[in-house]
Amino acid sequence: MFNKYLTFFALAIVLITVGCSRPVVKPNLGPGAMGPGFPRPGTGAGMIQEREAGMLQAELRTIYFDFDNYSLSADAQSALQYNAEVLKRVPNAMIVAEGHADERGTPEYNLALGDRRARSAVDFLVTLGLPPNRFSIVSYGSELPVDPSHNEAAWAKNRRVYLRVSQ
Amino acid sequence: MPKFSKNYVMNIRYANLLIIECLILLSLSALLSPALSQDKLVIELDKPSHIKMPIVIPDFIASEPSSVSGRDLASVIRNDLTMTGLFQVVEPQSGLPVGDKPDFESWSATGAQVAIIGRFQSRGNDMQIDLRCYDVALKRLEVGKKYTGQISDHRRMVHMFGDRVMEKLTGTPGCFTTKIAFVAEGGAKEIYSMDYDGFNTYQVTNNRSINMSPEWEPNGKGLIFTSYMHRNPDLWLMNLASLQSIPISARPGINASGRYSPDGGLIALSLSFKGSPNIFIINTQGQIINRLTEGRGNDISPSWAPDGGQIAYVSDQAGTPQIYIRPSGGGRAKRLTLNGNYNTDPDWAPKGDLIAFTSRIEGKFQVCTMKTDGSDLKVLTNQGSNQDPAWSPDGRMLTFVSNRDGKKRIYIMDSRGQLQVPVSRIAGKAPAWSRHSR
Repeated sequence: MFNKYLTFFALAIVLITVGCSRPVVKPNLGPGAMGPGFPRPGTGAGMIQEREAGMLQAELRTIYFDFDNYSLSADAQSALQYNAEVLKRVPNAMIVAEGHADERGTPEYNLALGDRRARSAVDFLVTLGLPPNRFSIVSYGSELPVDPSHNEAAWAKNRRVYLRVSQ
Repeated sequence: MPKFSKNYVMNIRYANLLIIECLILLSLSALLSPALSQDKLVIELDKPSHIKMPIVIPDFIASEPSSVSGRDLASVIRNDLTMTGLFQVVEPQSGLPVGDKPDFESWSATGAQVAIIGRFQSRGNDMQIDLRCYDVALKRLEVGKKYTGQISDHRRMVHMFGDRVMEKLTGTPGCFTTKIAFVAEGGAKEIYSMDYDGFNTYQVTNNRSINMSPEWEPNGKGLIFTSYMHRNPDLWLMNLASLQSIPISARPGINASGRYSPDGGLIALSLSFKGSPNIFIINTQGQIINRLTEGRGNDISPSWAPDGGQIAYVSDQAGTPQIYIRPSGGGRAKRLTLNGNYNTDPDWAPKGDLIAFTSRIEGKFQVCTMKTDGSDLKVLTNQGSNQDPAWSPDGRMLTFVSNRDGKKRIYIMDSRGQLQVPVSRIAGKAPAWSRHSR
């Protein structure tokens, strides 16, 4: 028991010391933390004009998925085939594949699911002849629903991969 | 975040609380016969009977008029002990004679085996509380403490005594001074912290980004969490004293579900920069120490065994998300959940014997426990959808998310699920229970 209060006092001293000296914590942004990889979403090359990007964005179709599933249905595949043709016409456009899940289940598992859905979509586009270095991937899990309602119609809209044209 | 800074100052103040062992205790116990002193008032946790110990906690007595309510003070520890699932608070809560001497006869008449008596006085912003826990049958003082501090710390002082009562009666200190961090739901997804019972809520992050999966540093000084501050789900560490955040792992793809090893030296998390999300172990500087899983499944939500030797996690390598365990140094995986098509969110109990998790049952999500070999499945919830369980550091309670009242809120329950109460004042999810503040 006494030890516990001793620890409290020790903690207090540590806290006061930390509070007074305010050591500068170095942001750990070196290659160790970043790892090797491709450009970040939003840091794209800026190689196409805003108007062109807008037109391309309007043409791209959203890809939808079944519950707890990242395989591509026939509908999803045909949407991606359409998107592939659109993207081939604008070879400079960089794309962020944003993966999403519906609200049901575990946020962490949904984050993994969104990542896999985005990867499925990008992998398929690559098999259709698009260069992999045009794509990056961001999963938002179940954090950004397009329809916040709690029903099957909303969930179906929220299980999606959105291809965002980055400028 | 002025609110937060204030709380930081309060923590220092707590640490400086003047705590006095009551000398009266010693003299009292000297009066007791040696034969009696060998008996012990002990709650057998593993007894299958689960008979709750009756306890009487009269409203605390102010020795002079005070701005603090004796009923409010008593309700703090009534609620603490009730939530463990081990005690039954008996009536009456007021009107009992509470003189200067213990009135064992009238306490005994209530059916109580234990009595907690509190006296307090306040002057200006300061107060002093004298708390005693008696064994009614043996007519013996078990624990006695005096706490002095600011009036604003009154809940903390009573919680501290509750921790000592639990230690005396069960051998394990209570968790009443610990905190729960969670993510606000609806609107901004900022991380908040609150006392385990929902009081003293404050906002921790203020980055206007999406924040997920908070986890306490074992020493309580910081939180790790996944945040989109740099437009990617990266793992960040926030120092709660300086309020500075630094990225720990910012690899392409997800950097998610970070969980500290029991000694705080390592972090298990899910990374997808190699392709599918797999479980890795990194050090606290973010460098990869070990890759735990391979393959094309989604592997997420690691949870360390309390001895650090094994890690439970979720994988959908067999088609649906199921819970597996694997030695943390690498080795063969063992699947634990064999029923159902959705089992996620494992959280290894502090005593090592159980794993809490989320299971989808008849279309709804429920909080369950099982032994670490997958046997002895218990479904603890049945109203609405319930998920994201996390054990209290003493293993006597679980926190989880439920939408049973329409919106998602943070709940706590005893380890058998007999008492389930909402504690967060705001909508929230992803609760994380701090470890003991020792």
